[in-house]
Amino acid sequence: MNGIHDMGGVHGYGPIDREEDEPVFHHAWEGKALALARVGLAGGHFDLDEFRHAMERIAPVQYLSISYYERWLEGTLMMLDAKGVVSAEEFQTRLDELSKSSGGGA
Amino acid sequence: MKITRDVVLGLYKNTGTARVDADVAASFKVGDIIQARIINPTGHTRLPRYVRGKQGRIATDHGVFKFADSLARGGGNQPQHLYSVRFDARELWGGDAKPQDCLYIDLWDDYLERAE
Amino acid sequence: MTSDNNVELRVRALESLLLEKGLVEAPAIDEIIDLFENRLGPQNGGKVVVRAWTDPAFKARLLANATEAIVEMGYDAVQGEDMVVVENTPEIHNVVVCTLCSCFPWATLGLPPVWYKSAPYRARAASDPRGVLVEFGTEISDEAQVRVWDSNAELRYMVLPERPAGTGAMNEDELLALVTRDSMIGVTRAQNP
Repeated sequence: MNGIHDMGGVHGYGPIDREEDEPVFHHAWEGKALALARVGLAGGHFDLDEFRHAMERIAPVQYLSISYYERWLEGTLMMLDAKGVVSAEEFQTRLDELSKSSGGGA
Repeated sequence: MKITRDVVLGLYKNTGTARVDADVAASFKVGDIIQARIINPTGHTRLPRYVRGKQGRIATDHGVFKFADSLARGGGNQPQHLYSVRFDARELWGGDAKPQDCLYIDLWDDYLERAE
Repeated sequence: MTSDNNVELRVRALESLLLEKGLVEAPAIDEIIDLFENRLGPQNGGKVVVRAWTDPAFKARLLANATEAIVEMGYDAVQGEDMVVVENTPEIHNVVVCTLCSCFPWATLGLPPVWYKSAPYRARAASDPRGVLVEFGTEISDEAQVRVWDSNAELRYMVLPERPAGTGAMNEDELLALVTRDSMIGVTRAQNP
């Protein structure tokens, strides 16, 4: 698809921001997000190319605004829902439960 | 399949290559001048817009690989030759690029047609 | 889309569901994280580079069939990726990008840095590699050739940087200290002694 992800040659993104000695994961949740995506792939629930396409379908403004591993999480959720492994409804239910028990969440 | 620790350890040992052991004829050979097709798929493709319609030269034949565009739509492997194709920077980006600079990208047989 | 608080909660929600459904066990999640955080990384690629610098026969094998040469060194492919190593010379400077996402040679370099996956790099490495190299402090002569490799399929690319001058007497550990991740992506050269 001619999505926002197809970036070769695009102008206007500005300078390349670099961090000295950056850690592999900036937050523990990033490692988890990576691991859960790998679980989805390893378990045969979805294919790598399907997964990439899911991330490509994240709305352009979100694609550019959310962090890299959050794109992985979104792609994983989209695929697990599409494949009937974890529906969007049951995910939202679980999220609501955790939100309440963590004192209202975000 | 339940992903246990042993499964994880087993997986990270040289598995999952996209190469396919299939006897598929190559449409092109090293040195051929090709043109990347002008396609406009709404589905997944690994042919970026900046290459479409541009002319390049086959630098390497990597052999037969699964085809990403097909896999993403549940169409199976559709194994075919994957080539490293070299494009002059000026072909892609115009006269401001240095004449000697170039870009290499891996393109499947289905992305290519013979240049006029 | 979300604040950090919310994404952490979302990850927890998904993890708890997958565990409950018996699709994964907790030690497996930990194993994957440990693999990427501690066992993979550019130190592996550095050793490949140093061996290529000091062993001409290995270098020839590496350039002819990087997949096999890297397996020979024990750095088995992670995603089953087929590897290609491209050599920098005084006349040719190679730089690697994935314009469509973030494909990177995990087996030798581990996970990519944030900047490699960022929009500015993905956009400009393809169309203005010389400008990108200047941003990284790397000077390329007008006569040299810059080659960009867009890793859009399942082959993964790594640069074999030039061995810096004045390193003839160095041992392998000393040489290893000069090989940076950036030099194996191609945005810089290896460090000088």
